[in-house]
Amino acid sequence: MATIIVNGVRREVQAPNDTPLLYVLRNDLELSGPQFGCGLAQCGACSVLLDGKEIRSCITPLSGAVGKEVTTLEGLPARWAQQKGLSKTDAEKTLHPVQEAWIEEQTPLCGFCQNGMMIKATELLERVAAPTVAEIKEAFTTSGPSAHLCRCGSYTAIIEAVQRAATVMGKGR
Amino acid sequence: MAIRRNKSINDKSVDVFGAALTRRQLVQAGGALFVGFGVLKQSTGAATSKNSLDATLPGSWIEIHPDNTILIRTGKSDFGQSTTFTAYRQIVAEELSAPFEAITTVVMGDTDRTPDGSGAFDFLGRGTPNIRKAAAFTYQALLDLASQRLGVPKSKLSVKNGVVSSGASGGGKSVSYGDLVKGQQLKLTIPVSGDLTSVMGLTVTGNPPLKPVSEYTIIGKSYRNSVTTSKVTAREQWATDVRLPGMLHARMVHPKSLGSTLVAAGKLDKTRFPNAQVVVKRNLVGVVAPTEWEAIRAAQQVAGDTKWTEWKGLPGNANLFNYLRKSADWKTTRVTKSDKSRGDIAPTLAGAAKKLSATYEFPFMKHAPIGPTLAVADARPDGTVYVYTHNQNPQALRGEIAQMLGASTDQIVVRTFAGAGHYGRSNGGNAGAEDEAVILSKAVGKPVRVQWMRPEDFQWSTQSPASYSEVEIGLDAKGRMIAYQIDHYMPAMQDDRPVGAVLAGLPTMPAPSEKGVFVGSTVNDISDPWIYDGVATLMERGHGTYQVGQKASPLAIGMRDHSMRTPGQFQQNFPRELAISEAAALAGIDAIQFRIDHAREDRAIGVLKAVRDASGWETRPSPRAKTAAAGDTPVRGRGVSLMFRSGTYWACVCEIAVTPGTGAIKVEKATIAVEPGIVVNPMQLKRQVEGGTVMGISHALLEEATFDESGITASDWRTYPILKMADIPEIKVVLLHRPEVGSYGGGSEAANAIAAPAIAAALFDATGKIARRLPLKPAYVQTLLKA
Repeated sequence: MATIIVNGVRREVQAPNDTPLLYVLRNDLELSGPQFGCGLAQCGACSVLLDGKEIRSCITPLSGAVGKEVTTLEGLPARWAQQKGLSKTDAEKTLHPVQEAWIEEQTPLCGFCQNGMMIKATELLERVAAPTVAEIKEAFTTSGPSAHLCRCGSYTAIIEAVQRAATVMGKGR
Repeated sequence: MAIRRNKSINDKSVDVFGAALTRRQLVQAGGALFVGFGVLKQSTGAATSKNSLDATLPGSWIEIHPDNTILIRTGKSDFGQSTTFTAYRQIVAEELSAPFEAITTVVMGDTDRTPDGSGAFDFLGRGTPNIRKAAAFTYQALLDLASQRLGVPKSKLSVKNGVVSSGASGGGKSVSYGDLVKGQQLKLTIPVSGDLTSVMGLTVTGNPPLKPVSEYTIIGKSYRNSVTTSKVTAREQWATDVRLPGMLHARMVHPKSLGSTLVAAGKLDKTRFPNAQVVVKRNLVGVVAPTEWEAIRAAQQVAGDTKWTEWKGLPGNANLFNYLRKSADWKTTRVTKSDKSRGDIAPTLAGAAKKLSATYEFPFMKHAPIGPTLAVADARPDGTVYVYTHNQNPQALRGEIAQMLGASTDQIVVRTFAGAGHYGRSNGGNAGAEDEAVILSKAVGKPVRVQWMRPEDFQWSTQSPASYSEVEIGLDAKGRMIAYQIDHYMPAMQDDRPVGAVLAGLPTMPAPSEKGVFVGSTVNDISDPWIYDGVATLMERGHGTYQVGQKASPLAIGMRDHSMRTPGQFQQNFPRELAISEAAALAGIDAIQFRIDHAREDRAIGVLKAVRDASGWETRPSPRAKTAAAGDTPVRGRGVSLMFRSGTYWACVCEIAVTPGTGAIKVEKATIAVEPGIVVNPMQLKRQVEGGTVMGISHALLEEATFDESGITASDWRTYPILKMADIPEIKVVLLHRPEVGSYGGGSEAANAIAAPAIAAALFDATGKIARRLPLKPAYVQTLLKA
């Protein structure tokens, strides 16, 4: 049993401490953002932010998340609202710019990997305001435990969406 | 009032171009027009099912509601093509002359809720998918209703934005679709043929008038995919999210090899896993537990303790082509010949001024969905079985589960949810986990969720078959192709037997054989339509055989194959297009010009010219290099390919840089020209083409399902690498919209095949060396360049 903070909310979890965080998020907390892709930290479908850093929830034990802030795809709008200091009413109707850009660019094909892609994009854009194409490629290919893989081949659309999100996030900085 | 004025329709069935419009009952409130079909003549078993066939049940293609909203249903499951949520809505809205936004609901891929079956392929039906004809029938029925209501002949009516108007000459009357159906229960029965639970499903027959292309206002616009928003905001219900009360999690313990039988199942350590349970049915072993983590760990423990027989009946990938040439049985299966084959090939080749004679090899490739197969099954005490999954052909799966259980299809319901793209793997109805979930659920009397782990998804799933092709091309003294001969050798391409049923010894369809029909056959059809009609003498033959290891395996399993995106065509187009580029070089003619010189179809020439212009192609013969490439300085080259598939012409130019010292190829730019006739949705088509091209580059450079004598050795993304973001080229997509063609060709499955022959031709252009085998991995290219 453990207490973890997920998307800003304290959650009591009954699962054993060695349970991979992914199964806790999906089965105990019924979140649907992170997906099981490989269980080996080789694809990125399960990514979440842990204290703002992208990690692979499929190999991170529950115990590794205790006392840290977990943000999943579901938590991105609130994360953005908090960063921008939006009112509660505004926050409720606001998506994270990364999500907006993913819609604008019609990025997903099957969409199964896109959770990890959007988590990675969020991490990148919080660190680098206006990344170059080379920086985007580096972030999605070599910066983490593995490259973020998309079998449908949506990489071009992802690069375009990251650039669009950067423009939106950069406004008012 | 409205009801009374429809009296003539109330009393008898009205013929609508072969469909029947009837009113079933008066209703006090609501009302709707349902579009379905009657009892089929051909396939009584499926057609008399209580599921999805009575249009009064919510299983009709199209429903017009009193509030002017429209619901559409399709048995097709969208796997990332976006077609059912964009093109299908556009097509229906267009045929009905209703707003795109009026179609507020799309129901897809549930066997008890959707009218037709078939797989996630050929969505656009080469211009007339079922949904288009259903919409065209519906439009005519609505005009009939409006004619009655307004008292104006049908010929004087016109429709805009879902409102029927009689025009000035008809008294200036109008009525909306919603008002036409208000207070009534109308049913339109449209004619269909086929077998619902077969691979191809039902086909709408008849010939309702179709809206003239010149009047299109909705098709051709870039509408967004409504599902994108729900996926991006984590509101989509994925198959991975299905949770039933009392559901148990399961992991499978699959045999040690593709031919191993069970000696003894491992004993569960109850002290460590008190809530888990082992299920054994002949060679099928599964472990269930209330939590996923316990199921995973318990299955690992049981697997370590389970004994299997040894089996080494496969040739292994290093020896594959030697095996295929020397040991495979190509004699039992009928040899096919393309319809276009013509002329006396042997003497023409013998008399040629110049000849190309070459063999091309194509490896096994994995579909490799980014999420492994999974399914939740609920086998209920009353004998009904519900399967919740992610499947490209739910009706076929329904038939397979019924066969496995000896049940009626009425007892089986398959519900489809979003999931990882399968690229054809489950087009025949199953991907692996579905039947296993059913078997385990029946055994434990509870809903069971089977999730395969990553290695199983590589090692126990089907793959795209390996093949090799022998080509002979004859040129005359002027460098024109006078003879082209190709012999394609490929094991059976589609094994739709559910693998869990095979392991458990339960009934399935037969393994592919020479006696099988259609997809169950070992026959190798010519799948790559010939485009170069300027060649007078042509011979294209297909040779088929059993799957590798299928006969030798005590499980009758071996290397099970399944169609992948461009099934058979990729295997045939790669050798053809590379050989054509080689022939152009032999003739000393530019590779695009050489193709244009031999093509006769205006559309084929159109995409070649478009790709030439868009890529900035320099017209000259290949190879560019006059000296052997060596060292660590990259050399550059370009190549082209051409393909026709599902009503669409494709041309691709790839520009590459290859480092001779390492053999590493980098595709720097890919330009693709696509001409499907009518472009239904430019934005979605562009994304499909980009994605398919990336997958195609991945196939060309990286992908081979390695295997040893016992089974597939590729087990994860390290042993089966796919293209990463850093490796993608600049991609330029040119969409050619040609409304005069009059139909919409497919655009979502074909792009994966076009890169490989263009890249291999580019390698030749850069180095003068020809790589006739895929994938173009550095070690292979390095060796080739040193030779």
